[in-house]
Amino acid sequence: MLWQAAYTVLFYLFAVAAISFAIGVTVSRRLLRAAVYLMSLLLTGAAIYVMLGAFFLAGVQVLVYVGGIVVVIIFAVMLTNSAQLGLATSPGYRKVMAFAAAAGMAIISCLALWTSKFNLSAATVPSDNIKAIGLKLLDRGAGGYVLPFEIISILLLAAVIGAIVIARRTTAPGQPFTTRGDEPAELANSTLKTQLCIEQEEQKV
Amino acid sequence: MIEFLASHTPGPHHWLVLSMILFSIGLYGVLSRSNAVGVLMSVEIMLNSAAMNFVIFNKYISPAAVDGQIMAIFAIAVAAAEAVVGMAIFVAIYRRRWSIDVSTMDLMKD
Amino acid sequence: MEHSGLIMKFAWLIPAIPLMSFILVGLVLRPLSKRIAGLTATAAIFVCAALAYLLAWEYFSSCAHEYAAIVPVTFEWLRYQAGLSVQMGVLVDPISVLLMVVVTTVSALVHLYSIGYMHEDYGRFFTYLNLFTFSMLGLVAAVNIVQMYVFWELVGVSSFLLIGFYYKKHSAVAASNKAFIVTRFSDLGFLTGILILGYYGFKFFVDTSAGQTGPFDFAYLNSAAFTTKIASMPSGIFDFSILTLSMVLVFIGAAGKSAMFPLHIWLPDAMEGPTPVSALIHAATMVVAGVYLVARLFPAFAASGSALMMVAYVGAFTSLFAAIIGITQDDIKRVLAFSTLSQIGYMMLALGVATPAHPLGYTASMFHLFTHAFFKALLFLAAGAVIHAVSTNNIWEMGGLRKKMPVTHITFLIAALAIAGIYPFAGFFSKDEILASALGNGHTLIFAVALTVAALTAVYMFRIYFVAFTGKARTHHALHAHEAPKIMLIPLIVLAILSAIAGFVPMGNFVRIGPNVHNGINHTIAIAASAAAVLGIAAAWFFYAGQTARAAGAAKTFGVIYLAAKQKFYIDELYMFITKSILFRFVASPIAWFDRHIVDGGVNLSGFLTRMTGQKLRFAQTGQVQTYGFWFAGGLLLVMLVIWAAIGVKS
Repeated sequence: MLWQAAYTVLFYLFAVAAISFAIGVTVSRRLLRAAVYLMSLLLTGAAIYVMLGAFFLAGVQVLVYVGGIVVVIIFAVMLTNSAQLGLATSPGYRKVMAFAAAAGMAIISCLALWTSKFNLSAATVPSDNIKAIGLKLLDRGAGGYVLPFEIISILLLAAVIGAIVIARRTTAPGQPFTTRGDEPAELANSTLKTQLCIEQEEQKV
Repeated sequence: MIEFLASHTPGPHHWLVLSMILFSIGLYGVLSRSNAVGVLMSVEIMLNSAAMNFVIFNKYISPAAVDGQIMAIFAIAVAAAEAVVGMAIFVAIYRRRWSIDVSTMDLMKD
Repeated sequence: MEHSGLIMKFAWLIPAIPLMSFILVGLVLRPLSKRIAGLTATAAIFVCAALAYLLAWEYFSSCAHEYAAIVPVTFEWLRYQAGLSVQMGVLVDPISVLLMVVVTTVSALVHLYSIGYMHEDYGRFFTYLNLFTFSMLGLVAAVNIVQMYVFWELVGVSSFLLIGFYYKKHSAVAASNKAFIVTRFSDLGFLTGILILGYYGFKFFVDTSAGQTGPFDFAYLNSAAFTTKIASMPSGIFDFSILTLSMVLVFIGAAGKSAMFPLHIWLPDAMEGPTPVSALIHAATMVVAGVYLVARLFPAFAASGSALMMVAYVGAFTSLFAAIIGITQDDIKRVLAFSTLSQIGYMMLALGVATPAHPLGYTASMFHLFTHAFFKALLFLAAGAVIHAVSTNNIWEMGGLRKKMPVTHITFLIAALAIAGIYPFAGFFSKDEILASALGNGHTLIFAVALTVAALTAVYMFRIYFVAFTGKARTHHALHAHEAPKIMLIPLIVLAILSAIAGFVPMGNFVRIGPNVHNGINHTIAIAASAAAVLGIAAAWFFYAGQTARAAGAAKTFGVIYLAAKQKFYIDELYMFITKSILFRFVASPIAWFDRHIVDGGVNLSGFLTRMTGQKLRFAQTGQVQTYGFWFAGGLLLVMLVIWAAIGVKS
């Protein structure tokens, strides 16, 4: 009884938190903050997985998403100078269009979901499903996932190699690897100016 | 109070609506963010909500099986790959144009 | 077949050699060396001429009495269905052999002459000449009317190219266009005639036993079985029968190519081309293609009496009409052009007065074609030599050339005597046969016209002779004229010999249709014709030898008539009036307006609408990924709504 009441409370708590963090990710003007919001959102997501009985998945979420992807994204923010440049906001009409699309999506799909009936099962989630996941992932028989598992590993390898190829600097050998070395002077100036503007704005705020 | 709360535990619909709202917020971000990294983050929100859907259905439709969770694991793996490649592309574009503003990336128009 | 001699088997080489030479000279040799190009082309035609002589010798010596038509080579060119196919091949019969000899001889001599005559654009000239020779030989050797039409158009094209050879000269371009358009217009009649003949020919085509391979074959079109069948069918136009109608249409084509009145207007202007071309195409060979066509279809024409009558009267009228104009012209080549018209009219009238029972006119026409080719080519080549020497076409700027250019003078005199019909030169014999055939078949009016024309011919020919060759030099150029180079004189001498002796060929033995009715001189007619010729020469001497005051006085006496003749009876102006003032203004202009504003307007409107739509839609293509994403999301929502509605209705 108490447990169930706590479950309900936790659900709404996490729901509100997740929605707030998501909104933070999408509207925050500074990208680093957005990245932090994203990290929080993903942690909340891990908590939601726990509530849904997927303990292993919650662990994966924390390890891969929070520990890996968010770090990659923060690297992206840093390497592309987006911490400063990212301040450029979209024009208003684009925000209106995006909001219309998102709101339409939310309303229509929520209504559709709310009016749908699902073939529910009364059984509860077994607590030792980590072992089941492990067996299923490496099962070569019918319903096993060994082939997608291997393909995913190849995909990850390809992604790593691809990332290196794309992002690698194509300069003559022997030159030092720099990201901002050949940045044009006027752009560097403008970057500086942008930075100054930000600082001034922050001082105002 | 506690009875009320205990008798209103969230069903599948509540979870699904939560996931749907997150998805829509992600969509809003994809369509409105001008910075490509911001777009990437919004995509991550959408992916995460999709993975959440798998887990929700796994719990409420066939709790004994673990297929939904495995799908979510795959989704996370693909998201990781996508994030890595996306980062690489952004860095490459940034080196070329000194900007990753998606609204200026319209070379295909001409 | 018993007529399978060696040369007969290789008869296809006669048209093929000029074709090969045309390709070789045109594509390979022309840019290399003008000398080699000219020599190759000339040598090819000489080989061709030798083959033609061998073929003639073999053909006429192999069969003693009846010269049957032989088709040594054919191949199928078009096949529509069983019984309706078109062959290409070589037909060997008396008139085609005759024409092959004439064409190759004149062509070879003209090629030789051109080596000396032409100065610029050597390779191109010989390429065209070879093309023309090939086309003309293909036309002559045609086994069916479709092949003849194909080559008919090819000679038209070659003629167009050669008239406009000096394409930098405006008048030459205009003349080539005029020639092409007028002959195209008449070829429309020819084509219509072919289609009518082909339609009925296929309808009644029965078997291929008689060596006929298709309904277009001349042998079939000329067969009594076919002509009597369509002669009894009414066509609904002027109560002509189908046969008469188709023959009249075919004759329109023949009249256009042979420049019969009223389609003659292109020939005088065609003299803008180089003189060797005038000699070859517009005097000796191409313009007689119409005569050849009528002769080829003579049995069919004869089966429709009225069509043949039309041929006779058109020929007689053109003959007289052109002769009168010829007297008044000052341009030496134009006089010769009108003379050509007049002589072709002669051939036509000879064909027209012939009947299957008294076919002397047929032989006479071919005989005149044969002799005319030599002396008219000679006249043109001699005129070319004169023009070459004095750099003008106007006879009043010449004079006294007898001493300066002795060889040209002698050859021109021989040709003039030949065309005037003085014994023993070639024209005498052929003219005599024509006159005899006209009188013999009771066409007194045509006989009278022909006799008058004989006298007029002598007048205009000797007018040129007296004005250009005798008397005193009238200009500086004429005073310092030089004899032409030897390479130009050789063809002149050869043709002069031919013009002198060609009349002694017993043509009636070789070319005839039906029995050999006449082979000798009718003395009464010969005396009358000679008297007319002598009278004409005397008149020319009286008016033009020495003093020109008499000529001016005579011109004043005739007044309006002289002026009208000098202006070629205003036929060109009449054509201009009809085409420009009536056709252009009332037919072509409204159609052009309709085309430009309604048809083009519609097309432009659709183009304009497309462009405007594109211009508006362009803004949808912003290149902005997020805009596309918005539309994508919108579409997704619509799809979701539809699916939801569908499922909702179901459950």
